[in-house]
Amino acid sequence: MRQLLSFSLLSFFSLCFAVLTAAADYHEQLVLRPLPLSALLASFNFRSNTTLSAFEAHNFRFFPRSLGQILQHAGTRELHLRFSLGRWDAESWGARPWNGAREGGTGVELWAWLEADTDEQADHQWLTLTNALSGLFCASLNFIDGTRTTRPVMSFQPEGDHPNATDTNTHLLYGVLPHEVVCTENLTPFLKLLPCKGKAGIASLLDGHKLFDASWQSMAIDVRPVCPPEGEGECVLEIEQTIDMVLDIERSKRPRGNPIPRPLPGHELHCDTSKPYHSGDTCFPADSTANQDWSLSQVFGKTIKGICPLTDPNVPPVCLQVPDSRSVYISNGGLEKKNQDGMSRCFEIEPETTNFELLLPRPEDLPADNLQAGQQVENIVKPETPLLYAERSFTGHGQERGGVQTILRNPSPDKEVEFIYMESLPWFMRIYLHTIQARIEGGPSDHDPLVQEVYYRPAVDRARGTQLEVRMRVPPASTVFLTYDFEKSILRYTEYPPDANRGFDVAAAVITILSPNKNGTRSATYNLRTTSLLCSLPTPDFSMPYNVIIFTSTAIALAFGGMFNIIVRRFVAADEGPEVSVGSLKQKLVVPLRRIFARVKPGPR
Amino acid sequence: MNGINGGKATTVGRTAGLYIGAAVLRLALFTLFPGLPDLLTGRVEISTPVTSFKRLQEGLFLYNHNVSPYDGGVYHQAPLLLPLFALLPSFAALPVFTYLLYIAIDLLSAHALFQIAESGEPGASALYTSPRRDKRWGGFVIAALFLFNPFTIATCIGRPTSVFTTCAILHAVVKAISGAPVGAMVALAFAAYLSMYPLLLLPPLLLLSYDRQLPGRATKSLAQFAATNIGVVASVLGMLFSMSFLITGSWEFLPSTYGVQLTLSDLAPNVGLWWYFFVEMFDSFRSFFLAVFWLHLSAYVGALTVRIRRQPLVVLTLLLGIFAIFKPYPSISDMSLFLAAVSLYRHVFPLMRYTFLVASIIMYTTFLGPAFYHLWIYAGSGNANFFYAITLVWGLGLSLLVCDLTFAVLRDEWEVERPEMVGKEIRQI
Repeated sequence: MRQLLSFSLLSFFSLCFAVLTAAADYHEQLVLRPLPLSALLASFNFRSNTTLSAFEAHNFRFFPRSLGQILQHAGTRELHLRFSLGRWDAESWGARPWNGAREGGTGVELWAWLEADTDEQADHQWLTLTNALSGLFCASLNFIDGTRTTRPVMSFQPEGDHPNATDTNTHLLYGVLPHEVVCTENLTPFLKLLPCKGKAGIASLLDGHKLFDASWQSMAIDVRPVCPPEGEGECVLEIEQTIDMVLDIERSKRPRGNPIPRPLPGHELHCDTSKPYHSGDTCFPADSTANQDWSLSQVFGKTIKGICPLTDPNVPPVCLQVPDSRSVYISNGGLEKKNQDGMSRCFEIEPETTNFELLLPRPEDLPADNLQAGQQVENIVKPETPLLYAERSFTGHGQERGGVQTILRNPSPDKEVEFIYMESLPWFMRIYLHTIQARIEGGPSDHDPLVQEVYYRPAVDRARGTQLEVRMRVPPASTVFLTYDFEKSILRYTEYPPDANRGFDVAAAVITILSPNKNGTRSATYNLRTTSLLCSLPTPDFSMPYNVIIFTSTAIALAFGGMFNIIVRRFVAADEGPEVSVGSLKQKLVVPLRRIFARVKPGPR
Repeated sequence: MNGINGGKATTVGRTAGLYIGAAVLRLALFTLFPGLPDLLTGRVEISTPVTSFKRLQEGLFLYNHNVSPYDGGVYHQAPLLLPLFALLPSFAALPVFTYLLYIAIDLLSAHALFQIAESGEPGASALYTSPRRDKRWGGFVIAALFLFNPFTIATCIGRPTSVFTTCAILHAVVKAISGAPVGAMVALAFAAYLSMYPLLLLPPLLLLSYDRQLPGRATKSLAQFAATNIGVVASVLGMLFSMSFLITGSWEFLPSTYGVQLTLSDLAPNVGLWWYFFVEMFDSFRSFFLAVFWLHLSAYVGALTVRIRRQPLVVLTLLLGIFAIFKPYPSISDMSLFLAAVSLYRHVFPLMRYTFLVASIIMYTTFLGPAFYHLWIYAGSGNANFFYAITLVWGLGLSLLVCDLTFAVLRDEWEVERPEMVGKEIRQI
């Protein structure tokens, strides 16, 4: 009876709670999208809100307290933190998830809008923020110092609503650590921020072994204030945690029972029989696009441990983007809902379910070994073409100087792309801005210049990195080469890392594509980042600081001594002046010695 | 009378021919080998962080686009160079004007050397006349040696801004010899403004212009003369600095141009001894050794000025040699200036003891230096020690030359007192 009472009380309270926290909700969703070439994109999204007034009263509810206190302490209005690894293969995988808004370049990226009266105060708060986040996320964020921090002018716009902020007291700072290796120790604190701590719900699928084995992965944390349209309630502070990963299905499935990669026996190979040289002893591997058959437990190593009880029941926790023609099997307790577009379906999970499993079988109407190109595409959702392809690489050779070349390709046949290209480079890459050049492949364009606006803040040795923002455009169906030269400087030997000959990581370039708004202005619609680069600097010999100091000092002493020897002394003929010879030296030494001996020796008196 | 005039006319004709020949050679190198200027500009032996033409272009680009070139780590050259080069037609469109400017500067320097040699100052200063002075080279030979020195030609093609300093120093000497102390001081102030180290040449230059004052307007008191002329240098420098301030709008050019030379924040390799020493230096001793190196550089000024009081031009020559070895960012441009000044002392060459050794070392390092740099930077089969070793040998060879010249000049002076010792073996006690 008592138990029953407490249960009913609890349910009553929880009902009240639900009413109270209409604004402070939480939801999570996993979207699975098979990609060409046996890849699977898994996008995890967790979002929770708390009202700004509750946040300021230290009433955090779903908002993680540890992060909330740091944000309050550092006066942060909006925060974006990214941990990324790998490369998004836009040529085969198409457009990026979330239009690229939830990804970072390789390593760690952090940008935030801080509220401060002066630049110095903003720098100070930024230092506080990076150091605190460094402790919270077990990442080397404290190494984001002045040389790695920039203040972007055009590239980043606040995502949230800042009604009472002015330009003078809100400072955007951007820091990037391309050398940081993202790993399990960053995932654990990430999961701890979630209300269900990764114990239930879709977060239970996340496992360091699978996440960091992915071809590409990006963990993102975004905190921003969101205000409803005027007069419709209170502003809320929203935290969105996102994990996107591209798993290689073949690779993910392999460790089960056969952890060591071994060649497959001949009869298990999937060969492309359309090749003219296909025969019993030759095999061209068939494109495994349509062969995708997997289950959650195969690709993630485990099943979903029920649903997080705090999540909004109206948001289906798992969605799968495959054409309706494919059949999907789910375990008991799940409910499939196909969407209108015919290209995706979502699954609702009943609260009592403890294990939710999803199985995507191989398309049954086609024999797996005998596929034709036209039919392959229908079995997965065709990836969307991105607005722009970008590749960046170094040119030149040697450790003295080099160039950076970015190839920007606009695939659209009729639409021009306008974007902002941002680089934040380390100070020891001395770039020569007068060599910056944008040219269209196959001849110059006769109308508007490609580069429309440049914002450049040169590097200061050991104090500040280069910040380069270029607003430029790429005409339809053309390729633009953006190039500039730089010089590599030699550092003091204490400034080299222990693995000096590995090279220095150069952060990814951030490309923000602009699209015209209704009111004539342009705003960011799509982001992409190039890969990071590895720049090798000339190195001194680390083994011989003493030798160098001694040799140089000797050379200087020889010059100084030789010079002053000539200046100070008098000339005499060779036979003039006091005698300096071995004989005279001997005399000088022998006479006093004899005297001493004479005293010591007891001679006859 | 006619003969003398005719001789003078042929000399003028010959000299003009020499200048035209040198100009044509340079112009031909610029135009026939279009890749050569950029290749030489990129050489560390020619372009240092404080003189590089590529950095000048970057500074100019930033200046033209209203970005302060001193708010960055690339441009470390004097602010007044910016409007000068901004006045020239754009280098990218019409490079020939820049080429002509550099050729003109080389010719001006050569003409200054011509005048110095013709004045007879090297052999016979106001206080001392060498018994060997007849065995000297004329202005034509000196100018030809300067203009056709491979180091000078390479410098001209590589277009570092050190040529402006060279020209200013040589003209300061010419003015001092011709009895125009104010002109000398103004030229020296320009040189000091461009690259700072020529300020150390002030004491010998003061003495040179004091000795060579025109009889009519001579100041008897050395202290008064020195005070007046130091005042001239200071006021010209002050004027140049305030013009720079007006151009750039702030004083941040001071730390960026002179501060870099004082603190050696840019450790780009060059032919000097500083860069590798400070790459390898322990951080806690860095400032101490910077002070020691600067003190060492300035230690020679007083000693030489006092010891060779009777021949201030010798002191200037020796100091130029010492700067070519021991200044923070030396290049072969300083070497070409020093060699030109050494050639003025043809008459003491017989007294020098190591001419063959020095010539061999210079040849050896000239060829091996670029090869070892290539092995380190491009081939990867050598390391930094290869190039460092060559700069060490280069420094030792040059300091041997400087010491040897000092010895020869002092012995020349001594043999006036002891004429019977000519050709005899001597020693120093």
